[in-house]
Amino acid sequence: MKADARTIPGGWVALAAPHRLGGSTHLDILRSWTLAAGIVGLCGTVIFGASAAKVLLVAMLSAIATDCIVGYARARPVVGGLSHASLTGLLLGLTLPATVPWYIPAIGSLIAVVFGKIVFGGLGHFCWQPALVGRVVLQLLFLPTLSLSLHPTWPILAPGHLLVGRLDQPQRVEMAGYGGWFAQPHDANVQALAMERPVQTLRAFAQGRFRPDGGLAYEPLLREKLPPWQDSIFGLVPGGIGETCTLALIIAGLYLIYRGFLRWQMPVVMIAAAAVAAALLPVESGGNEGGYDWFPVFAVEQGRAVGVAYVLYHLTSGELMLGAFLIAGDMTTTPMRARGQALFAAGVGVLTIFMRLYGVVECECYWSILAMNTLVGVIDGRLRRRVFGMDEEP
Amino acid sequence: MSLLLNLLGPREGFEGGLFLPDFKQATSRRPIENVVARDPLRVPLQVSRTMPTKPEVAVGDSVLRGQRIAALVGTASVSVHAPTSGRVVEIDRVWTAREGFLPCAVIEPDGRDTAAPCNRTWSEESMVLQLAEHGVIVPAPLMPAHELIRQATQAGVTDLIVSAMETEPYLTSDLRTLVEQHGRFLDMTGELADALGVHHVYFALPYRHRRVVKRVCAEAAGRHIEISPLSDRYPQCQPNLLVKTILDREVPPGGTPLDVEAVVVPLTTIRMAADAVFSDRPVTHAIVTVAGDAVEHAGTYRVPIGTSVRQLADRVGLLAPVRQAVWGGPLTGIALTRDETVISADTAAILLFSQVHATNPVPCIRCGWCVEDCPVGLDPAALVQLEPASSADEQTKAHLKTCLDCGLCSYVCPATLPLAATIHRARERFCTTSSHSSGGA
Ligand code: SF4
Ligand code: SF4
Repeated sequence: MKADARTIPGGWVALAAPHRLGGSTHLDILRSWTLAAGIVGLCGTVIFGASAAKVLLVAMLSAIATDCIVGYARARPVVGGLSHASLTGLLLGLTLPATVPWYIPAIGSLIAVVFGKIVFGGLGHFCWQPALVGRVVLQLLFLPTLSLSLHPTWPILAPGHLLVGRLDQPQRVEMAGYGGWFAQPHDANVQALAMERPVQTLRAFAQGRFRPDGGLAYEPLLREKLPPWQDSIFGLVPGGIGETCTLALIIAGLYLIYRGFLRWQMPVVMIAAAAVAAALLPVESGGNEGGYDWFPVFAVEQGRAVGVAYVLYHLTSGELMLGAFLIAGDMTTTPMRARGQALFAAGVGVLTIFMRLYGVVECECYWSILAMNTLVGVIDGRLRRRVFGMDEEP
Repeated sequence: MSLLLNLLGPREGFEGGLFLPDFKQATSRRPIENVVARDPLRVPLQVSRTMPTKPEVAVGDSVLRGQRIAALVGTASVSVHAPTSGRVVEIDRVWTAREGFLPCAVIEPDGRDTAAPCNRTWSEESMVLQLAEHGVIVPAPLMPAHELIRQATQAGVTDLIVSAMETEPYLTSDLRTLVEQHGRFLDMTGELADALGVHHVYFALPYRHRRVVKRVCAEAAGRHIEISPLSDRYPQCQPNLLVKTILDREVPPGGTPLDVEAVVVPLTTIRMAADAVFSDRPVTHAIVTVAGDAVEHAGTYRVPIGTSVRQLADRVGLLAPVRQAVWGGPLTGIALTRDETVISADTAAILLFSQVHATNPVPCIRCGWCVEDCPVGLDPAALVQLEPASSADEQTKAHLKTCLDCGLCSYVCPATLPLAATIHRARERFCTTSSHSSGGA
């Protein structure tokens, strides 16, 4: 089609420079993030079945409904549309186990949206990650349902029942002699397995609750108390819906890094810091003398580098991976600059392992992200860029 | 030399900046085309409101191409010449993008394009005079070339940087000029260096166009000109950043390269000066990139000064109705609202777009992209919060003055906040009033 040059006077738009824009808007960021979280949620649904999908859906719908109702009541449009609400709901759902009753995600999303976002003034103004605010309040409100120490075992679907099985009547499996999820027999009657969460086992180990077995401490832990490591890579261990599947989390994180919406420093530094902390911080040895065992990474038992395996278990268990790839990188609640984010991530990684080894709080990664969120102002103030042509260092 | 270049890669001199998608494919391989004047040209009789001239033609006079139609008045001004041969039919005023209304002579071309006889001879002493007489200017900031030479001599500059960097998307006029006539620019650069008495001469050009770099390197052999191939990271073309990259000197806030004993001369000026000094051809045409998604035959054109944007659009053809027209680069240019705006000597590009990149600002989501990409290390997100305030402290003022108006912060902002425009406004408000009050105190 050839347009007549005379069509020019039809209203040229006068705007200030620049006249072309990069084109990534906040909505693109939120949608990509939701897509990444959706990938993880899908894997969680495969591993934990329909009840996981129900939790995720309830969390999302409750968040969207809350945002809409509050926006309607205050008669002002919701900034960020429904994308931010659905992302918050989805992230909250990913942190919950699939067995919770429906009202827990509903209430959690309500708290996340109202007390995490709206009381601060909406998108861009909150200083604590809203989904995590909802999550830790849930942890306090529904402690009997959510506490790991009150529930020793948690369910997961058995082989042959992925996606369609039910978690209601799990069969208890003992860790000693458990050859891994893939080695379990396909049994039409056993729809789910129940076992300890690896993170809870690690916590008990660090507090010296396991007796050393003839001078061997790590070897029995790895062989008899924890599932094989590849199970935690594929996510075939109990835990929150989005917490277990390390592979899906890495893919989701890589997608966000590729889109440029997540800085690689965030997950890399966070996991590296957690690895260093787990490698160096002492664990109670549980022997008769009750002393501390420093530098677990260097432990060698029966000629095997069990210390390294112990550190790897720390990285793939619990909420660390979900926090590193999907939650901690939230733009609004992290420092502006890449090096500020690296500092932030290092803080989160170390605090997480520290709380896991010595603290009594559960959801340690979520608490440490919230703690570091509080320090964002300080980090940003410390790490200003030097302004061109000005001598003084800020 | 070239092997070393390939191995080492370009120099990287400043923090921040961004490699932009450059949209130059459409125009970078097409030779510069001559636009022949057929319709009446409305030639501005002065380049800027601050450069007074005395008109030398009256209605009914016939003029030849290159004939002077307005003579410079005072020292900081340049003469203006007729871009084609024809008859003056009217003395009127005309709208220009940067200067608003200027007086103009409407010249009806006779179609023969006869050149005025060449009568001056070249001598080195009179070079500065010749530049003024032939209308040679520096496009940004707009000033006569001889005025820049005078200021540079006064400041005692030691380094001359000739910049052929065009890191803004779409722009290819410097690149095409360089491809088509590189030799004389090095000659002219040498003359300019002699006139300025500088110690070092640098020629900055885009590293990415390796073949051009090699050719210019070969031409420069044996001359005291250092070829500096630089990366395309926007905004490397800004003079302050060129000085930083090449000389590692930082211009103080609100200053110019002259403050650190360097002078940056754009290739446009060198091209005009080479024509004026070597061929006795005054400035009558502008080399203009016409591009954008509404343009059918995007390319680089040699356009007679005084052609209106509408005439130019007719010449290049349109694919779609134009919704937005930009004078200059897409990140720093001026939005045009009238299609009778004329091409002036300092025009580098006319971009016609069928789509507007509209903004829909939401609160800052603290992504930090503006902080990370700002080439001078500012925090635009914090600076724009100043807007409602009535005063700013000294440090903030210095920050506002450091901003290069490169537009990168607005470009990347996912909240589509008008950061660059707001900072520009804040600078005009705080920094100009403060200089008045401090001057009075
Ligand atoms: S316009 Fe100014 S503040 Fe924005 S990126 Fe460019 S130099 Fe920095
Ligand atoms: S680019 Fe925009 S949204 Fe991001 S920090 Fe800067 S002002 Fe805020």
